[in-house]
Amino acid sequence: MRQSIGSQRSWVAGGVAAGVIWTAAKLTIPLLAAAAIDDGMRAGDQAKVVRLTLVMVVVGVVQAVCTGLRRYAAFRIALRTETDLRHRLFAHLQRLHFAFHDHAQTGQLMARANTDIQQVQTVVILIPLTIASLLTMSGVLVIMMTKDVVLAVLALGALPFLNVAATRFSHRIAPVNLALQEELADVSGVVEESLSGIRVVKGFGAERQQIRRLQAEADSVLDRSLAAARLRAGFMPLVDFLPTVSMVAILWYGGHQVLDGQLQVGDILAFNLYILMLIWPMRMMGMLVAQASRASAGAGRVHEILATDPAIADAADARPLAPGAGALRFEGVRFGYGGDRFVLDGLDLDIEGGEAVAIVGATGSGKSTVARLVPRFYDVDAGRVLLDGTDVRNLAVEDLRAAVGIVFEDTFLFSDTVRENIAFADPEAPMTRVERAARLAGAAEFIRALPNGYDTVIGEHGFSLSGGQRQRIAIARAVLADPRVLILDDATSSVDPTKEHEIRAALGEVMDGRTTLIIAHRPATIALADRVVLIGEGRVVATGTHEELLATSEAYRAVLAAASRGASPGVAGATPEPDAPEVRA
Amino acid sequence: MRGGMIGGSPIEDDAKLDRAAAHQVLRRLGVMLAPYRRQVLLAVVVLVGQTACLLAGPALVRAGVDQGLVGKDGAALNRIAVIYLVVAIAGLALGRLVIWLVSRTGERFLRALRERVFSHLMALSLDFYDREKTGRLVARMTSDIDALQELISQGLVMFVQNFLIFVGAVIVVSTMSWELSLGVLVIVPPVLIASRWFRRRSNAAYLEVRERIGENLSTLQEGLEGVRVVQAFGRERGWIRRFGRTNENQFEANLETVRISAKYFPIVEFTGVIGISVLVGLGGVLVDNRVVTVGTVLAFVLYLNNLFEPIQQLSQLYNTVQSSGAALNKLFVLLDTEVSIREKPGAVDLPTQGDLTVTDLAFAYGTEMPDTDGVVHPLGPEVLRGVSITVAAGERVALVGPTGAGKSTLAKLMARFYDPREGSVSYGGVDLRNATLTSLRATIVVVPQEGFLFAGTIRDNVRVGRDGATDEDVGAAIAALGLTETFAAFPDGVDTEVRERGSRLSAGEKQLVSLARAALADPTVLVLDEATSNLDPGTEHAVERALDRLTDGRTVVVVAHRLSTAARCDRIAVVDHGGVVEVGTHDELIAHHGRYASLYAAWDSTPMDRIA
Repeated sequence: MRQSIGSQRSWVAGGVAAGVIWTAAKLTIPLLAAAAIDDGMRAGDQAKVVRLTLVMVVVGVVQAVCTGLRRYAAFRIALRTETDLRHRLFAHLQRLHFAFHDHAQTGQLMARANTDIQQVQTVVILIPLTIASLLTMSGVLVIMMTKDVVLAVLALGALPFLNVAATRFSHRIAPVNLALQEELADVSGVVEESLSGIRVVKGFGAERQQIRRLQAEADSVLDRSLAAARLRAGFMPLVDFLPTVSMVAILWYGGHQVLDGQLQVGDILAFNLYILMLIWPMRMMGMLVAQASRASAGAGRVHEILATDPAIADAADARPLAPGAGALRFEGVRFGYGGDRFVLDGLDLDIEGGEAVAIVGATGSGKSTVARLVPRFYDVDAGRVLLDGTDVRNLAVEDLRAAVGIVFEDTFLFSDTVRENIAFADPEAPMTRVERAARLAGAAEFIRALPNGYDTVIGEHGFSLSGGQRQRIAIARAVLADPRVLILDDATSSVDPTKEHEIRAALGEVMDGRTTLIIAHRPATIALADRVVLIGEGRVVATGTHEELLATSEAYRAVLAAASRGASPGVAGATPEPDAPEVRA
Repeated sequence: MRGGMIGGSPIEDDAKLDRAAAHQVLRRLGVMLAPYRRQVLLAVVVLVGQTACLLAGPALVRAGVDQGLVGKDGAALNRIAVIYLVVAIAGLALGRLVIWLVSRTGERFLRALRERVFSHLMALSLDFYDREKTGRLVARMTSDIDALQELISQGLVMFVQNFLIFVGAVIVVSTMSWELSLGVLVIVPPVLIASRWFRRRSNAAYLEVRERIGENLSTLQEGLEGVRVVQAFGRERGWIRRFGRTNENQFEANLETVRISAKYFPIVEFTGVIGISVLVGLGGVLVDNRVVTVGTVLAFVLYLNNLFEPIQQLSQLYNTVQSSGAALNKLFVLLDTEVSIREKPGAVDLPTQGDLTVTDLAFAYGTEMPDTDGVVHPLGPEVLRGVSITVAAGERVALVGPTGAGKSTLAKLMARFYDPREGSVSYGGVDLRNATLTSLRATIVVVPQEGFLFAGTIRDNVRVGRDGATDEDVGAAIAALGLTETFAAFPDGVDTEVRERGSRLSAGEKQLVSLARAALADPTVLVLDEATSNLDPGTEHAVERALDRLTDGRTVVVVAHRLSTAARCDRIAVVDHGGVVEVGTHDELIAHHGRYASLYAAWDSTPMDRIA
């Protein structure tokens, strides 16, 4: 943040200068008005009145120009700071490791980048405005003191209470408003649910139950709103009252001073104008205090993220990836997603370049985890993973990931065109490559049938693709990258069985000449592989062809049986895979 | 701070109300506020009083200066100062009272409005929900009512008060001196014009900002949700650049609003200085000619504030008021939507036992009724025509047929989710349209395809099946389906929060909750819409087991997507092209070699036991 403000030094300087001149001009006006009344009007000197009036107009022009400048500078600096900070945060988040994102919720991160940074922005705006306010206040204080010390004390005495009240109000209203927002969110939660589930509500005639839920929430909203109203009723009228007390003091004490010949009538006006001038700065000082505490909390949360170093980064001596066939080797690999439970423990596995291997295992056996270690989505806790003879941790991450293509189980597509999604790895890829990738993934046919073919925007206007279609686009995306190692993480699970056949035929072509890891439980998909590796208890239990394992491994038969039908251990009633955090990608 | 933001949220042009609509909204608002008549009247009286106190200030200064200072009367000065203080205190008290009165009445009104709109939404039937998008309806209850909430808490008092202050100040200054008033009024047009310009320009600019923020947030969200794909393909730099662009667009849009206010505020401040100059200059001449007193000039300078501020404030509050009016209008349209499935006067309870009889049924989706945007969705093609079928008490009937044949629609009509266009559905001889809604929903229960869960515990979710069911009832319903152990295995058993992270239920588990709900409702007739999606194998087994127990001894109509389900039913009705083309047992239909037989043959040869 400091860097960002530093880089806008000229705006800061200009803003400060404009603020100082503006304050001086503003403070001069009441003095001119008082002089016009006392020396001109009451003395009967018309020429002087006119002269002073003209001076006022000139000062007014200066004041106007400066107020525009200082506002523009203040807001510009704050907005620039906000924009830069948000950009840094996003860039940092893009580079943070998978494990970080497994634990972070998108909504929370959005709030950091949005609300928290905005809080910071608001306080940055307030700083120069507050400096101007402080200048105004000290100016007013000095002028009034030189005219009449007692009157200055009497007139200004009430105003600090405005500041105190504003600060207290800001502090007290913030939690109430927050609670109110939460209650409003609850109302919207009930409404959203009742309407999305309207068929259930109607089916069971549960309308009255839902109405009661809403009533309860609406009552909470009412309570919170009234609590906020009580606070407002306590504070808002003070904004008018306290300055009025000052004006009463000016009229009464100042009036007597005039009668005693110590002050002039014009001074009464000047003092009144100064009081009006101070109302806003006083209120704003209170806001600054409250805003600063909110902003520092927000800035703290943002900093926490920025201070997290990406766990997966290039080693100091990272090497570019040498050419190779895509041989993979797992040596004594141990890995856990945190905690003291290891998903993989003592995994040894050799995969030749160009080989297609199916990794099979029961739910929670860690079969997907094996695949996630290859592109270094996570680093092993012990042992090592080698690609073409080099530990993946010694490779440049960019090279490694370019060499390893993955199709995630839970397909994530961007709301761009089909073409942009397929050409994700290489946005410059010519159309012929995109079409070829689509064809190999068995997606070409349905893409052609889309309203705008390859230019159809995914997810727009309620237009949606089926799970199987999404998966095929994701396969095409991986194919286009032309990786040395291709990982299909349960990649055909949502594909319609009648289409699966086509994809299998196409995948044969894709897999030709590259190492392929297939995480699967359908026999038909497993059949794509040259070799099957059965994982259990965090290590390799058996390996061989599908037929060999069927013949020799009781465990393999059990896993396949569970997958096709019947009771897979711990499915009904259990929470989803306890060891693998939901990977949404 | 002020001027960096404008009052209320920006308002779209098409969301503005024309004059006639605005009148209509005001009239109806008046009707709705009728029960609060006395509170509203009281608030207005108090507000007028408070405004009078505010406006009395400069007049008292004038009296003090003229009688006390110029007239050299210390006693008069003291008297006037005391009056001033009393008036100020009265203003404080009245100010507190008016905020409290307006908030209390306003918030209660909103509380009632929320309930009224929501109750209406709950009463509306499914044909309405077919026409409307859920998101838009949620917006009625949230952003629209929140707009009114904002008006009540932030704007309403200020709006009325500023109006009163402006009018009051104009009256006061013109009675004091019309000559000086003319001088002051010179500055009103520039402020008025500048304020209008500012409101329009900044409204447009803020709409732009909102749009850019939306775009930036969606880039942000996609970048975060898709971060694994981005990293897997090494596209971090590309995405950071992309975000940089939308982020920069947001900055530019924001800066435009700053530019606008950087033009507006100089004009306002300058006009203020001009006002004082004019008063002092003109005042000098008038005092010299003994037309006005010095006190009057002073009072005028102080009143300048009361003319200036309201114009700016009103201009800024204009949007809040506008959007509130638009919001109210949308709510009225919603409240005006008629409920099509209603209980007839003199409706009777359904008998406890009986056959479910469909006679000569015809149905098409859509109505002549416009949706809440006024768009009429024309009547769709006929989905069902000439359908007649009787489901005997205790019988299990499967509806099968290709997608779009009308089998789900038929099932919905059997539960009066819709009323038929022609023909009738009756239970135990009572036409469903003549039955009380309570007995209808208690007798015939529809279990939808996907198990929908509400926030709350598993127990809360099961309880949706029957209002007022005790924990024991819920437990018994779960036990009846043999699910006690299944649910006990969750972290907190049946008290597990279904929406909490880590205990998210799988699709199959959701269906189990849904079935337990139906068991708790314990209806005589059960209408099931079988899920089309694949469940994980283990849960699928559990769902089938629970389903068998649930349907045992009840009259069941099941929309079957799997022929294995159909084969287990007593009778099968094949629905195609909007009519029932075959009815019989599995064996009969196979022997008949008709539609069912060919469907079954096709299904039998596919490896997966799925069909359409």
